[in-house]
Amino acid sequence: MSIMQYNGAAMIAMAGKNCVGIAADRRLGIQYQTVAMDFQKVFQMTPTLYVGLAGLATDVQTLKNLLEFRISLYELREERTMSPQVFLHLLSALLYEKRFGPYFCEPIVAGLTPEGKPVLGGMDLIGATVITDDFVVSGNCTENLHGMCETLYKPDMEPDALFETISQALLASVDRDALTGWGGVVHIITTEGVTTKELKGRMD
Amino acid sequence: MMHSAPAPFRSAAPAQPALIHNSEGNVHLRQEQGSIDHGVTEAPYERRFSPYDFNGGTTVAVSGADYAIVAADTRLSSGYEILSRNVSKLHPLTEHCVLGSAGCKTDVDQLRSVLDIKMNVYSHDHRKPMATPSAAQMLSNTLYYKRFFPYYSFNVLGGIDAQGKGAVYSYDAIGSYERTPYSASGSGQSYLIPLLDNVVGHKNRMDEKRELGAEEVVEILKDAFVTAGERDIYTGDSLEIMIIKKDGIQKQTFALKAD
Repeated sequence: MSIMQYNGAAMIAMAGKNCVGIAADRRLGIQYQTVAMDFQKVFQMTPTLYVGLAGLATDVQTLKNLLEFRISLYELREERTMSPQVFLHLLSALLYEKRFGPYFCEPIVAGLTPEGKPVLGGMDLIGATVITDDFVVSGNCTENLHGMCETLYKPDMEPDALFETISQALLASVDRDALTGWGGVVHIITTEGVTTKELKGRMD
Repeated sequence: MMHSAPAPFRSAAPAQPALIHNSEGNVHLRQEQGSIDHGVTEAPYERRFSPYDFNGGTTVAVSGADYAIVAADTRLSSGYEILSRNVSKLHPLTEHCVLGSAGCKTDVDQLRSVLDIKMNVYSHDHRKPMATPSAAQMLSNTLYYKRFFPYYSFNVLGGIDAQGKGAVYSYDAIGSYERTPYSASGSGQSYLIPLLDNVVGHKNRMDEKRELGAEEVVEILKDAFVTAGERDIYTGDSLEIMIIKKDGIQKQTFALKAD
């Protein structure tokens, strides 16, 4: 039993043409027992920045609160919104502070620069960051997610096509993993705003 | 056990023997003053010979209305090394039935040998080649014979059944099997199965389901193996596809990345 497989999570962040999408499943479990089907794992940090936290649920919630606190402090002092690149560095530093007793959480970050360019990043539990221009995945079934994203991804997708791609990739992947699923939630972020949709999937 | 009195404050390492806990029990080791490894490298521990090796690779089988397609990469690895870029994982058992196996190559070879002998005996006794569902059952039984020292072989069987329809069977290492519309096994199976669910099984889709032709499935499998080749270190080099129809087996090969 690995601590990263205690609660269960699956998430994808994918880039399109001047837009990003981030999606996650909704299950909260205690090993094989499902405890909630509406557990939030993706959080809005700024109007153009979302973070997805996959891993131990208590650390998901703690990190969410910590990040909101740090963002508020930054906006108070700097009088401006935090950009995605700065946020990635902040999150990485927060995780590495706990190098020898880490938060059991592997986050993904999806955001847009003020010019509307997509920023995508993923991290391991001690803050090692990867920045990509196509997609990042995290959670229990990363192999399934990588397989789906690698095959379905095309560069420069419009928001509607991005939504379809990210939804199909998530649903097909979680259906083959016992610890993830029970529906999904997708956020598509553009310079105009954010559209949030719930996915209907197999409730098992 | 003798415990000496703690040495006066001369070095970081205590004068008491290092206490090592391991599967053989607890061991006290006398070490040099100032030794920094605290006995870890000297304590006895169990070493075992493993009869199995993992040689990697991915196999896929998809069935259709009048065809079955079995595909596999051709890479043979051991650890981080590539032993060969051109070893086939596909083995025709009859004119209408192909076995794809990934896992431990020596077990795969032995399994194929045993199956070939049994197929020959059957065709000698019954004066006809074995039908695909019967071959599927025979493979299951052959694997279960070695239930307590298994063939480390992850198989997919694809072929045409007695009615001329495509048939695919998936197995685990000890012979549990089931007829399924499609199957994938080996190191890259997790990358491929959700894709097959979505595209071949039409799961989680709102558009109308339609029958796929053999050529379409070949194109899907090419994409699938490119993906598996990207993300799985044991999959790559080239892709071998066998298309089984009523009139026989047609073979195709495509290049994959060699990294």
